Amino acid sequence: MARSPALRLVGRRLGAAVIVLWGVTLLTFIVMSTLPNDTAQTMLGLHATPAQVAALNKALGLNQPFWVRYWRWLVQALHGNLGTTLEGQSVNHELAIHLPVTLELLAYALVISVALAVVVAVLAARRPNGIADRISLSVSMIGLSASPLVVGIILVIVFAVQVGWFPVQSNGLGGGLGSFFVQGTLPAASLGFPLFAIYTRLLRADLVEQMQREDYIVTARAKGLSPWRVLIRHALRNSMFTLITVIGLNLGTLVSAAAIIEVLFSVPGVGSDLLTAIGNHDSALIEGIVFVFALITVAGNLAADLLYAVLDPRIRHGSTNS
Amino acid sequence: MSEEALLEVTDLRVAFAAGGQEISAVNGVSFSVRPGETLAVIGESGSGKTVSCRAIMGLLPSTAIVKGSARLRGTELIGLPEPELRRHRGAQMAMVFQDPARSLNPTMRIGQQIAEAVRTHRDVSKAEARAEAIELLRLVRMPLPERRFGEYPHQLSGGMRQRVVIAIALACKPKLLIADEATTALDVTTQAQIMELLLDLQDELDMALVMISHDLGLAASYASEVVVMYAGKIVEQAPAGQLFGARGAVRMRYTRALLDAIPDMERAAHTPLPVVAGRPPDLAALPPGCAFADRCAAAEDDCRETAPDLAEHVPGHRWACWHPCAAGDNSENGDIPS
Ligand SMILES: Nc1ncnc2c1ncn2[C@@H]1O[C@H](COP(=O)(O)OP(=O)(O)O)[C@@H](O)[C@H]1O
Ligand SMILES: [Mg+2]
Repeated sequence: MARSPALRLVGRRLGAAVIVLWGVTLLTFIVMSTLPNDTAQTMLGLHATPAQVAALNKALGLNQPFWVRYWRWLVQALHGNLGTTLEGQSVNHELAIHLPVTLELLAYALVISVALAVVVAVLAARRPNGIADRISLSVSMIGLSASPLVVGIILVIVFAVQVGWFPVQSNGLGGGLGSFFVQGTLPAASLGFPLFAIYTRLLRADLVEQMQREDYIVTARAKGLSPWRVLIRHALRNSMFTLITVIGLNLGTLVSAAAIIEVLFSVPGVGSDLLTAIGNHDSALIEGIVFVFALITVAGNLAADLLYAVLDPRIRHGSTNS
Repeated sequence: MSEEALLEVTDLRVAFAAGGQEISAVNGVSFSVRPGETLAVIGESGSGKTVSCRAIMGLLPSTAIVKGSARLRGTELIGLPEPELRRHRGAQMAMVFQDPARSLNPTMRIGQQIAEAVRTHRDVSKAEARAEAIELLRLVRMPLPERRFGEYPHQLSGGMRQRVVIAIALACKPKLLIADEATTALDVTTQAQIMELLLDLQDELDMALVMISHDLGLAASYASEVVVMYAGKIVEQAPAGQLFGARGAVRMRYTRALLDAIPDMERAAHTPLPVVAGRPPDLAALPPGCAFADRCAAAEDDCRETAPDLAEHVPGHRWACWHPCAAGDNSENGDIPS
């Protein structure tokens, strides 16, 4: 029996994902091993004797050659154990606490940006060069040129310091939905605004292009459908497939931006954790977090590809006779 | 017209504002369609056939400036506000397009696309619309309609897709169906099947059919009345029997050239037709005289000075030429430069 094209796609993408993830762990290890190895010194304090440092290095396995250390880490990681932090905590435990916070933040940012982008792009595409289109163009130009950090700082100054609607620092997103919105909205908006700009431009261009060029749009209009229905039921439907791919491709940028935004707003996610770990030269924690970041990015890309394959009938059935 | 016309088009003009230029795509077209009649609109590529019928349907882009009149059962369509026009589109008049590969939404099940057309003009439930869509698939002789309902356009052949497009057009049993080169993109065998289907359905549903084509052969076989277009104008018009009868009476050299260009059955689908020699005129700068003069062997000075009007020279037969061919054998055609 011939395998479906979607299934083949899954296989290929999964293979690629595994290779990327492995590459990331190796690269992190190489970078970490080029930094001065003062883990033992840090742990023991400045007054420790060289003998004590050497003993601890031996106990931690840090005097082993690079490949041995990498191999040991990799085997452990494959068994689901990412090692121990300098403070003696398991990295897994550390991630279990901080990762959900980051994931919530990312999801919130994505939902805000996609939902707003869809609404604004549809309004803009209804009348190209109309008022809504011009306003959306200006707003998204700002979003395209500003980084999440700049947006974050402006949002803090306006909405936290001046207006006082939201706290300057988040201190955790937990504790009920209301608290989640209060704590999470500014960080999510900072992350989401540049994305919103990208998605809006993309969707708007795709919608206008279809409305002006595609014959199936004329067919839909010839049925007597209203322009809004044609735009939403026919054009937007097809644009969403493109959007899903772009969301997946942007996930890497989003994750790294999240690290900065978490620090800015003191959101206790893995991003803030990573910066602390880097400050402490906590290599096990750094490796664990970088690995998780890579995992989110790769999984996001994979999910976008698969979702696209599952949703778009042209791929699902392997379009041949067109 | 003797009988009350279903569609009465009078002096229809369409211009496009494009880059500072004004492209005159349709320049004063008048014709009428009686209920149940088959009218063929023939002309070489770019002669304004598609633009004319899209102007009637109100489907032109906003860059189009439409003037003149098109009355559907007495209702003036030109200049009608979009929400009112929408009530007629798909309900009383519908259209079938040239390229079935592009005229269906690729990501929507074909059944849904038909059901949507049903629900646009009638207050029926989703289930009723679905049942009706399946009925419409049956009407256009789609095999296994229940199964086809859930399929996507790319799963169908070109001919099957065109049947779906026809089913959409017929969803509200319109009184006027405009088929714009509905068979051009199909292979020869399928062309004949789709043409037969359209004529059967026309009979069954008592529709008027406006059949747009660059193929005079189609007009000769199926139409009752023939309108020939060139550079946005009607240049010849007559009942098909009169034009192609035993004593063929085509009077325009342009029409004769189209007749010579009738594709033979061996021609592969999608290959461009052998067209009339010479290039169509620049629609942004139409000459004061006859637009065909530069391509016409019989052209004289008067042709370049003043454009001949379309006039009824013989009862039922109109043409616009200062020096028409003699009535008689249509194939006698030595005077067209090639
Ligand atoms: N949207 C448009 N803008 C400018 N010119 C157009 C547009 N649509 C059609 N035209 C021009 O109008 C003329 C008639 O086109 P059309 O009606 O499509 O010819 P056909 O008889 O082959 O169907 C052509 O010269 C074409 O280039
Ligand atoms: Mg055309």
